[in-house]
Amino acid sequence: MKRINWTASAQALLNPLIAVLLGLLVGAIAIWAVGGSVITTYVEMWNGAFGSFYFTTSTLTRATPIILAALGVSLAFRAGFFNLGAEGQMIFGALAAAIAALYVPGPGIVKIISAMIAGMLAGGLWSALAGWLDTRFRMNLLITTLLLNYIAVLFAGYMVSFPLKEKAGSGGAQTAMIDNSAWLPKLFSGMTLHAGFIIAALATILLALFFRYTTKGYEIRMLGSNPLFAAFGGVRRGKLMLLSMMLSGALAGLAGTFEVLGTQYRYIDNMLSAPGYAWSAIMATLLASSNPIGAAFAAVLLAALQTGGMGVERNTEVPLEISSVIQASLILFVSARITISLIKRKKARAVDGSHS
Amino acid sequence: MLLQMKGITKRYGSLTANDAINFTLAEGEVHALIGENGAGKSTLMRILYGEEQPTEGHVFIAGQEHAFSSPSDAIRAGIGMVHQHFMLFPSFTVAENIVIGREPRAGMSFDRKAAAEQVKALSEKYGMPVDPWEKVADCPVGIQQRIEILKVLNQGAKIIIMDEPSGALTPLEVEWLLKAIKRLAKQGISFILISHKLHEVMDSSDRITVLRDGRVTGTVTAEETDAVKLSQLMVGRELVLTEKKRLEPGKNILEVRDVTLSGSKGGKPVLDRIGFTVRAGEIVGIAGVSGNGQSELLQVISGLRNTDTGQVLLDGQDVTGKTPGTFRDAGLAHIPEDRYMWGSAKEETVTDNAIMGHLRSFSRNGLLRKGQIKETVAQWIDAYKVKTGSLDTRGKHLSGGNMQKLIVAREMAHGTPFVIAAEPTRGVDIGAMETIHDALLKRREENGAILLVSSELTEILKLSDRILVLFEGRIAGELSAEEATEERISILMAGGTGVETN
Repeated sequence: MKRINWTASAQALLNPLIAVLLGLLVGAIAIWAVGGSVITTYVEMWNGAFGSFYFTTSTLTRATPIILAALGVSLAFRAGFFNLGAEGQMIFGALAAAIAALYVPGPGIVKIISAMIAGMLAGGLWSALAGWLDTRFRMNLLITTLLLNYIAVLFAGYMVSFPLKEKAGSGGAQTAMIDNSAWLPKLFSGMTLHAGFIIAALATILLALFFRYTTKGYEIRMLGSNPLFAAFGGVRRGKLMLLSMMLSGALAGLAGTFEVLGTQYRYIDNMLSAPGYAWSAIMATLLASSNPIGAAFAAVLLAALQTGGMGVERNTEVPLEISSVIQASLILFVSARITISLIKRKKARAVDGSHS
Repeated sequence: MLLQMKGITKRYGSLTANDAINFTLAEGEVHALIGENGAGKSTLMRILYGEEQPTEGHVFIAGQEHAFSSPSDAIRAGIGMVHQHFMLFPSFTVAENIVIGREPRAGMSFDRKAAAEQVKALSEKYGMPVDPWEKVADCPVGIQQRIEILKVLNQGAKIIIMDEPSGALTPLEVEWLLKAIKRLAKQGISFILISHKLHEVMDSSDRITVLRDGRVTGTVTAEETDAVKLSQLMVGRELVLTEKKRLEPGKNILEVRDVTLSGSKGGKPVLDRIGFTVRAGEIVGIAGVSGNGQSELLQVISGLRNTDTGQVLLDGQDVTGKTPGTFRDAGLAHIPEDRYMWGSAKEETVTDNAIMGHLRSFSRNGLLRKGQIKETVAQWIDAYKVKTGSLDTRGKHLSGGNMQKLIVAREMAHGTPFVIAAEPTRGVDIGAMETIHDALLKRREENGAILLVSSELTEILKLSDRILVLFEGRIAGELSAEEATEERISILMAGGTGVETN
């Protein structure tokens, strides 16, 4: 039994690896097309991502919000809900966390905990709203989560441009800086990596255990796998949908929270949209077929592509966009993988012997 | 011999699906091929139809060796296949469906009139009446099958493989089909009939070949055998039929009162004032041609669908309009009619599929009790002889019959006062059928109330204490086990009154 499990998980790893290799191949063609040296570029990319302790920890810093958001997206996807609203949920989480950290009185630890609670609640509720619209009014979740992103972006933009705008300082659209007692501790001095990464890693393991060992995790998996089967067995879709959307949004909210508490120390307009964390998270989830541990590794990989891309731009003539090319082709190959598994399934059905 | 298959062996890795099989077919002969799930029938036929290539062995047609690399090769050699699931274009006419691939032309364009005439001539020649201009979507299932046969004949088939031909038909349609097969055989067409239904096989075939575990266990003529001997050849042991004990039914467990479900767009109601009870210690059978309200009725009495009017009471509790969870808590176990739509999740493991609905007894404080689950599921698998690689095998890798056994095991394990058994033995082999029937009869003896919905009249007749017949959403009649015969049920199923006969 164990052996079967191992081969299965090896295969689950193999497919994304093939996608990654193909992505790098396409990237190589693109590099060659713009006249760069493929080997130098990839060496620089590796160096930019993992070339030194500093770069490695920077990559992990960048991966932290992607991991957390990807866990949220995985949870929703597993339940069968296409939550594309990670961006909005992150933004509301970050905004709420910044407000809590600024205005909750008391020592740093109180500020940090209230910011985390506020961030998770804000992200969770924003996500649950989309779930509620689906159960109550049958509004398509894919559309609502996507559109709620715009509301969140614009609302947060307004908040930091007017009511919450920093009074003194540069005049950018941002809140005041939070008290440094509420800053998340750095893991290594002089490096950007903060305690949020540890929590993200813990959350990854917890989510994997949640799916495997809890009744709610079981119900969520069944609901996503065959909703009619779940209904037949007495699983209540409406309740479970609200719960899984809430948890999904809370994880995204936590991602936003840690960006405020661990990296920027304030909410700055566009600080989450510009790096495209939410979309990287969705990509990571797709790459890993919604497996939490796989999604976390995929998140690190995507973060490495991005930090590596910056290294490429610093040290070669090849532009940063080469990373985007690789990412885009990754997604293409992931979808191709889905198609191939469909074809395989058809063949398997033809082969599995007499069924009459 | 028109067809000779000699020493056919087919291996998939370590699995031998066909092991040195010899099979012959004479001109104008009906030769049935029977066996349990996974005995190798389909593989053998796929080899004959060019969908698979044998690992070893030879195929001769009229003495000449053929090696088909695709179905079109087989069709060219005069072999036709009528699949269990019809392959027709519902929005096209009968004639268009029959002439497909060899359309008559007028210049550059398709000559519809010539096609219709050609089809008419064909249908007259073989005594299979169809209206060439009718849309296939408007044809009943029996006619659709006729169209399939005509299509194959039009392709010039001399040998027709029929895979489970009676699966979707009403008893009257089955009777017609078997007659038609015999008539065509007299006109020189040869048939290979794959079937689970021994009485049909005995009725229509000249010879019968039985497969077990990929080997031929016997080829016999219909005259020299009977159903008992055939099932022995299929299963490899004698089947013991559990006798149905006489029982005095107890209190009402399921009460359905005046349930009505309106149709779409103000059409005929799907369910029309349905009322009946199922008592403790009895099996009530529901017969009917599929599409007469059975599925909807099952959904209403399991909480998957709300009723427009009326009430459903389960063990004295009014559960009308409640969720499936409430129905289950009130005492329902449910073997669903569609095992993949409702009964399982293909992508999940055997274990995950087995514990649905059992979470309460398999968990503590929201955590699954893995050890207990593993032990119990292993017991079920053992008791129902579910063939699976492991408990972690995904549902999609189980054959349909084995998935069905797993679902029956799961639902019977609930030990509830009420059980819905919808098509409980669809697609399972004779051995498993025996196990499932025994389990249902045992539950009846333990004072369980069982509602059996089945398209197999033999199953209904064998198990039921009372039989209700559904026709167009109404209960067209009720028969006790004593007065029920296949004929009387068939007449009620077709909308007759049941009183006119005998």
